[in-house]
Amino acid sequence: MIKKVFEKPLSWLERIFFVDFIRGLSVTIRHAFSKTITTHYPYEKLTPPKRFRGFFGHKVVNGKEPQPAFDEWVERLKVEVEPGRSRCVVCLLCKRACPVPQLFEIEGEKLPNGKRRISVFNMNMLLCTFCGFCVDACPVDCLFQSDIHETASYSRKDAVLTLEVLERIGRDWQRRREKEPDRIWIDDAQRMRLWHENDLKLPEVKKQ
Amino acid sequence: MENLFVQLLVIGIKILVILGVVFGLGAYLTWVERKVAAHIQRRPGPMVVGWHGLLQPLADGLKLITKEDIFPRAGNRFLYNLALVLALVPAVLTFAVVPFGPEFEVFGVKVKPILTDLNVGLLLVFALGSMAVYAIALAGWASNSKYALIGSMRKAGIIVSYEAVITFAVMGPVILAGTLSTYEIVQQQINHKLWYIWLQPIAFVVYMFAMLAETGRVPFDIQEAEAELVTGFTVEYGGIKFGIFPLVEWYVEVLSLSAIAVVLFLGGWSPINIPFLGFVDPLFFLGPLSPFVWFVLKVALLFLFVLWLHWTLPRYRIDQITETAWKVMLPLTFVNLMLTAILAPIVWR
Repeated sequence: MIKKVFEKPLSWLERIFFVDFIRGLSVTIRHAFSKTITTHYPYEKLTPPKRFRGFFGHKVVNGKEPQPAFDEWVERLKVEVEPGRSRCVVCLLCKRACPVPQLFEIEGEKLPNGKRRISVFNMNMLLCTFCGFCVDACPVDCLFQSDIHETASYSRKDAVLTLEVLERIGRDWQRRREKEPDRIWIDDAQRMRLWHENDLKLPEVKKQ
Repeated sequence: MENLFVQLLVIGIKILVILGVVFGLGAYLTWVERKVAAHIQRRPGPMVVGWHGLLQPLADGLKLITKEDIFPRAGNRFLYNLALVLALVPAVLTFAVVPFGPEFEVFGVKVKPILTDLNVGLLLVFALGSMAVYAIALAGWASNSKYALIGSMRKAGIIVSYEAVITFAVMGPVILAGTLSTYEIVQQQINHKLWYIWLQPIAFVVYMFAMLAETGRVPFDIQEAEAELVTGFTVEYGGIKFGIFPLVEWYVEVLSLSAIAVVLFLGGWSPINIPFLGFVDPLFFLGPLSPFVWFVLKVALLFLFVLWLHWTLPRYRIDQITETAWKVMLPLTFVNLMLTAILAPIVWR
C-alpha cells in the first residue's frame, strides 16, 4: 500500500507572521556566526586516511615483506632480491586483475647469474580507474596505493608512472606512514576541526 | 552671479559624492555579499586578495575590464548597448532624491544633503523604477538568445506586477506625511515623532517583498534562475558589460530601494523612535554627524537583511510570484490604505 504523506499546511497565523521564513532565517544566522569548517586548500592540506586510493607505488625490500609468501614467490620465479629496490616478482597478477590491462607495461630481464629482475614497470594513470584490484592481487605486498592525490601534470607523459617513480613513492610512503595504525581517518585533530559538532570518537587502535 | 556659482559648485560636489558612493559602495558590496553568503554556508569567502579578500572587488573589476567583449552575431548592437545605459542611468538617478541627512551649513552656505529636493520625489523614484523593465526587455531581445529572452520576459512580468503593488504600498506613508517630497516625508516623521512603520507594518512588509522582486533577489530571482536559464538576460553579455547588470540590479537598486524604505518607513536620518513620545539617540556623542550615521546604519541593516534573506530562501515559481502579487499583495495594500485613512487623523492632529 502506498501511503501519501503531505507536509502540514501552515495555519493562517503562521502565514501572517512568516513563521516558516523566520525558522529558515534562524538556521542561517546560527550558521553565519559559527566557525567555518573549510580548509584553505593550497595553504592548508588534509592528510588522507592510510587506506586512501591515490597514486600507486612499489614498496621496496626492507625486511618487512609478508612471509612466507615473499620467499615462496622469490624461489619459484628465481627473483634477484636487492634491499632498497622494488619487491616486484614479475608475476603479472596485477595486470591480470586490472579492468584496463593495457595500462600496465611490465617486463622482466634475465641477469647473467640466471636470476630474474623487474626491468620495466609502467602504469599509465590516464587509463586507471583507481579501483585497487591490482593492489589486492599483489601476492608480495609490493604494489600499493599511496595518499598522493594532487595528480595534475603538464603533459600526458608525466601521467605515466615508471619503475623509478613507483619506487620513490614507495620509499617515501614506508618512511612516512608504514608505522601508522590503519584507521579510517588518521588525522584526528583535523577531523575534529571539521566535524566537532558531532563529537565522534573512534575507538583507539593499538600500535603494532 | 556669485550665488549661482556657489550653487553650481555645491551641486557638482553632491553629484561627485553620490556617484563615488554609489559606484565605490556598489563594488564593495559584492565583497560584502560574498562574505555573508560564505559565512552562511560556513565558508570563509574570499581570503586571498588582500586582508580577508578586501581587494577582491578590484581584482574582479580588473578581470572584467580586461576580458574580451563578445557580441552575438545576429543581435542588435544598438539595443544591446542601449539596454546597458537604460539599466545603469535610472538606477543611479534614483539617488538624486534620497535625502542623506538634515540641512546643514558650511562656510555660510546652507546645504541640503539631497541632490534635488523635488516636490514629487517619490513619483520620480517609481517612474525610474519602471524604466528597469525597458532595460531588461531590450537586453533580452537584443541578445538574440532564447535564455536571455525567457529571462527578460519573466523579469518584465515580475516588475509589471510589483510596480503596481509597490506604488500602492507607499501610498500609506504618503497619506500620513501629506507630501511626495522625500525630504519632507522625513521631516514630517520627525514632526509627528513617529516612524511610519509603527502604523504601516503591512505596507512595510509588502514594500520589502516588492523590493526583493524588483531587484531580482531571492526568493524572486526567477529571471536568472541558474539551473534553468544560465543567467537569464545577461547570458550574451561579456566582460564589464556583464559585470554592470548584477552591479546595478543587485547592489545599486537594492541600495536605492533600501534608502527609500528607510525614508518612508524608518524615519530617514532620525534616531530610534518611541511612537508619539520622541526620539532616543544613543549616538549623541557624534554631534552633527549623528543623523548621517543613523541613515547609513539603517540602510546597511536593511541591505544586510536582504542578503540574509537571499541566502536563506529557495526560489518561487513564476506563477507563484505573480499570483502573490495580484491576489495577496495588492488586496493587502488596499486594506492598508483603508486602515491608513482611519488612522491618519491621529497622526495629523
